[in-house]
Amino acid sequence: MIMALIVLMVPWAAAGAESADPVSGTQLFSLGGFGTLGIVHSSEHLADFTSSVFQPGGAGYSENWSAAVDSLIGAQLTVNINPKLSAVVQIIAQQNPDNTYTPHVEWANVKYLLTPDFSIRAGRIVMPTFLVSDSINVGYTAPWVRPPPGVYQLLPIDNSDGVDFSYRLHIGALTDTLEGHYGQNNADLPYNRGSAAARNIWGFSDTAEYGPLTVHLAYQEMHLTIPSFNALFNAFRLFGPRGIAIADEYDLDNKPFVTEAIGASYEPGQYFVMAEWARANTNSIFAVGTAWYVSSGYRLGKFTPYLTYTEVKSDRNSDPGLALAALPPSRAGFAAGLNAGLNSTLEVNPDQSTVSVGSRWDFMKNVDLKLQMDHSRNGPGSSGGLADLQPGFRPGGVVNLLSATVDFVF
Amino acid sequence: MSGRAAGYPPQRAAQCRVLKRSNVLHVQRIGLVGLGLTLSLGISAVSADVVAVVSSKSAITTLSKNQVMDIFFGRTTSFPDGSHAVPIDQTEGSAVRDEFYSRIAGMSPAQVKAFWSKIIFTGRGQPPKTVATSLEAKKLLVENPNTVGYIDQSLVDSSVRVVLAP
Repeated sequence: MIMALIVLMVPWAAAGAESADPVSGTQLFSLGGFGTLGIVHSSEHLADFTSSVFQPGGAGYSENWSAAVDSLIGAQLTVNINPKLSAVVQIIAQQNPDNTYTPHVEWANVKYLLTPDFSIRAGRIVMPTFLVSDSINVGYTAPWVRPPPGVYQLLPIDNSDGVDFSYRLHIGALTDTLEGHYGQNNADLPYNRGSAAARNIWGFSDTAEYGPLTVHLAYQEMHLTIPSFNALFNAFRLFGPRGIAIADEYDLDNKPFVTEAIGASYEPGQYFVMAEWARANTNSIFAVGTAWYVSSGYRLGKFTPYLTYTEVKSDRNSDPGLALAALPPSRAGFAAGLNAGLNSTLEVNPDQSTVSVGSRWDFMKNVDLKLQMDHSRNGPGSSGGLADLQPGFRPGGVVNLLSATVDFVF
Repeated sequence: MSGRAAGYPPQRAAQCRVLKRSNVLHVQRIGLVGLGLTLSLGISAVSADVVAVVSSKSAITTLSKNQVMDIFFGRTTSFPDGSHAVPIDQTEGSAVRDEFYSRIAGMSPAQVKAFWSKIIFTGRGQPPKTVATSLEAKKLLVENPNTVGYIDQSLVDSSVRVVLAP
């Protein structure tokens, strides 16, 4: 639909192109691209480190060194139809949940400027939940190999199909941007777990910029449904009031998912200091996750070494489940299986502290090389967000990652 | 090592202190210090005196570093008096451009590129129009009183007004 709209607008745009302001830098069409080539190694061989919940496999169990975790390539076409109206389409190819690399439309929207400081958009739009959410796929814009996953994976989806507005306010030397959005999202899950549907997504964010200082606040709500969990919770409902209570607490049938985030960065050029805190209350088996990080780097010529400390905590990594003693032996075995199913998902909820050290090297124009080491300690009973847990995996251990990426823009 | 660092300006001394902590062989450490010094000298070698200017027909008389930064980084499209502001940038890789961003924002060419990549690839905007030389910038500035640019100080004459000497 959006593509059709853009195609229809092009002839109109071409007609208006000649009257463009001679000193404005905007061209009718601008095409750009970005990408990351990366490899990552994990010391934990009985589970996979992935960059998001949508990734099948990863580093550790599936592959000793994984190129799939961080690698991606993207292209973006911007059409500046006239000074008020523009359209953007961004396509990204990366490892899909079904293990293919078919490109997908990351964003496609039409933007209209009501005033130079007030714009509205319709289409597929990024959700600016965290400080660098909107540029999360463009590694070249980031100081690290990847944004601290503890915070950035609290809300794994980063776009929504709908509308948004952005209103910019100038108060002396302060620029304040208020943004609000409404929409929905559908995402396929790996390991044949079907798809996740987020409905009635709405939220707002406020970004205040004062010279090198940026402060960001965001609040977001949505209703999340993942039908592949229904079989487990429908079975729990067969076990009387206790079973129904468990199902109601943990199921993923239109559950309100609330994310709150606050962050700040100070980037005077020679160095940077960044910190963010966020909480996601999922009202489901994904529990309540709270995370924060603080990160700093110092530029030495073309090298920018950095240090990051991240903590993520889940309020639930296990549940006693159904009381087996009260059940007849014929049903106790089935109930034990359900309890195990419940706990195997709760175990994946991250509880982890991580120290990351690395460096960015701007070794040539528009290309950087990054090297990063992460040392993580998982909380007792938590896999620390690792996926694809294999028999013999023990939660609560230590995981070391070694990552190298080359990021580019063109 | 700390004795030698004490003799350097604060920034270079800080580099030495950071490097001192690195747990590498002594020979490699000397190499790294040498590299660090070469890189910081490399930055100062391109120094040319750059000034932010408007047409002498413009009503703008002075701008702060933050005001110039906000206009060049697309945070605002207005001068402080409310009139429309259009920045004129110079092409990537030019010495005067590198010096300008280093002076107003303390940013390296890669940091400026990263900043614009963030804006472009989020669909939030496009970088300013660029010209190849300070002479071209000056010509465009003089003809368009709503523009602001930066040029080599040696090119300043009565047709333009210096609004910031960063």
